[in-house]
Amino acid sequence: MTPNKLVFKNITRRRGRFIFTLLGIVIGMASFVTFMALGGSLKSEIERESAALGANLVVTPKGSCAYEQVSILTGEQLPTTITAEEVASIRAIEGIQAIPYLAERSAIDSRPVSVMGILPAETKEFKGWQITAGAYFPTENADGAVLGSVLAEQFKLLPGSEVRIRGTMIPVLGVLEETGGKDDLTVFLSMPVAQQLYKQQDRVSYVAVRVDKIEEVDLYALKIKDQVSLGVVSDKQMLNSVLGIVGTVNMTLQLIAAVAILAAAFGIVNTMMTATYERKREIGILQAMGAARSTIFKLFMLESAIYGLLGGIGGALLGLAGSHFAAPYISQNAATSFVKGAQSSIDPLMLLGAVLFSTLVAIVSGLYPAWKAAKLSPVEAISYE
Amino acid sequence: MSNAIIKTQNLCKQYGSGATLVQALRGVDLEIERGSFTCIIGPSGHGKSTLMHLLGGLDQPSGGSVAIDGQEISSLSGKDLAALRACKIGFVFQFFNLLQSLTATENIEVALMLAGVPDALQQERARELLKLVGLSDKAGAKPGQLSGGQQQRVAIARALANDPPVLLMDEPTGNLDSAAEAEVMAVLEELNRGGKTLILVTHSNEIAARAGNLIRVRDGLIEQNPALDQQLKKIA
Ligand SMILES: Nc1ncnc2c1ncn2[C@@H]1O[C@H](COP(=O)(O)OP(=O)(O)OP(=O)(O)O)[C@@H](O)[C@H]1O
Ligand SMILES: [Mg+2]
Repeated sequence: MTPNKLVFKNITRRRGRFIFTLLGIVIGMASFVTFMALGGSLKSEIERESAALGANLVVTPKGSCAYEQVSILTGEQLPTTITAEEVASIRAIEGIQAIPYLAERSAIDSRPVSVMGILPAETKEFKGWQITAGAYFPTENADGAVLGSVLAEQFKLLPGSEVRIRGTMIPVLGVLEETGGKDDLTVFLSMPVAQQLYKQQDRVSYVAVRVDKIEEVDLYALKIKDQVSLGVVSDKQMLNSVLGIVGTVNMTLQLIAAVAILAAAFGIVNTMMTATYERKREIGILQAMGAARSTIFKLFMLESAIYGLLGGIGGALLGLAGSHFAAPYISQNAATSFVKGAQSSIDPLMLLGAVLFSTLVAIVSGLYPAWKAAKLSPVEAISYE
Repeated sequence: MSNAIIKTQNLCKQYGSGATLVQALRGVDLEIERGSFTCIIGPSGHGKSTLMHLLGGLDQPSGGSVAIDGQEISSLSGKDLAALRACKIGFVFQFFNLLQSLTATENIEVALMLAGVPDALQQERARELLKLVGLSDKAGAKPGQLSGGQQQRVAIARALANDPPVLLMDEPTGNLDSAAEAEVMAVLEELNRGGKTLILVTHSNEIAARAGNLIRVRDGLIEQNPALDQQLKKIA
């Protein structure tokens, strides 16, 4: 017999209670790990999308708020209130490159996808795209679609096949090389075709602007505002406000997880308190056999620490699975639609941290019951029947 | 030093305070000889269990002193007292002596573990002890699968685990029928012949009659009653 064996025999003697207490901490830790993983991948995806946009400034409809800025990064549908004239006057400014986008949504096989109207030649150069299969738009108003690589693979669309957008069959021209961002999940159309399809004649959603001299970015923001009555944000502002929203969402989720863990911690306290009452006489017997108070304390602490250790491991595994399977479902929402490969943001260190954290929580939960158990006087415990 | 393994002087124990104050022991002087077989008898509620707990270092006296094998227990820290219990004293109580989730063997192994015997040496020793009490075939049985007498024999085997010089027992046969009582007493007398000091609280005259020494506890004090002692001897 070793203390570990003794504790293991004790912890499993009430199997139902053991399992339910363990489930509490597993679920709490799983939600914590899931939210951490999703939150982490959200943040890194946002940073990547912001970089993939390739712009220093973004011109948005007047009065657009942070939610619209998220939408720019996620490829959500946006109000199309920027007119061709406004685009033209922005593009007329010297020292910048301004690329208009029409951001729309459609569905393929009833799964939502982004549809983008673009200026084929300029956007390709602006984004540095490469073609991996088929061909790119031959002209600025070419009929046909160029697809992001993940989307093409997902829906088994090859150059030469057709894709239905808004009820119209459109031939697939080519497939882009993987970019790692949301472009991989987007259907690109030439601007005139997209505008016609979505009945947005001469209108675009936003304009991405790159300035030639990065140090003069503020100056150009003012210049654009002089020319048109539209909102102008820098990529940094946009990133900050989007990360701010995501941070709030994250905080809320983690708070929920924290409450779940707290509830689980009280579950451990409850179980351990019950165990000390149930085994009151056995504690006395152990003391009569020569167990010091510190030994009793250790035995009970070990027992609750096991809940934390097993719960942490179980929670980490369940959380891994959870974030893996939940990611595709929550990606339908703008704020969370970045999450594609959630597993990419789970690092082993975080899992180890989760196991340590849950063990720590369990140890803290076990302190009071273990102290109560150790405090029992042998005679009192033995007289208990 | 005398041949006493346990010695008390003016031993007092009180429980509670104020209106609920109970004077369970009110000045007990006694000496238990090494290798003796002593029975503690007396009416219910007069302090027998209290005395036994103090003799085994399970509790601290309110006044007076207890020396176990020359060690004054009031001078020991809780930890040292626990260590003394592990090595010098084997306790057996009236019922529910065993840890319910463990087998007979494992119960004995816990006692060995608490005395610091390494895991690897425990099983062999546990087997010897179960053989000693005639329960080799019940090594893997949990308390629920054992009869009352068998449970008490396992408890005795466990009390013997670390080969303590003294066995302290509080009505070990109090819950048993006469056949089971005979089994247990046979084991105990064999142990006493082997040199163990036995101290046994009992209500049974038959058992008391077999003891070498009698301690009568009445109202928290030791009572001398040679006439009654003679009567008991006749039963034997
Ligand atoms: N923990 C305690 N708190 C308060 N009073 C106690 C406590 N333990 C014992 N007593 C009191 O001390 C007195 C002696 O009790 P003790 O248990 O020693 O009697 P006993 O002789 O063993 O009786 P029995 O033969 O019924 O076991 C009794 O009056 C009892 O009520
Ligand atoms: Mg008693």
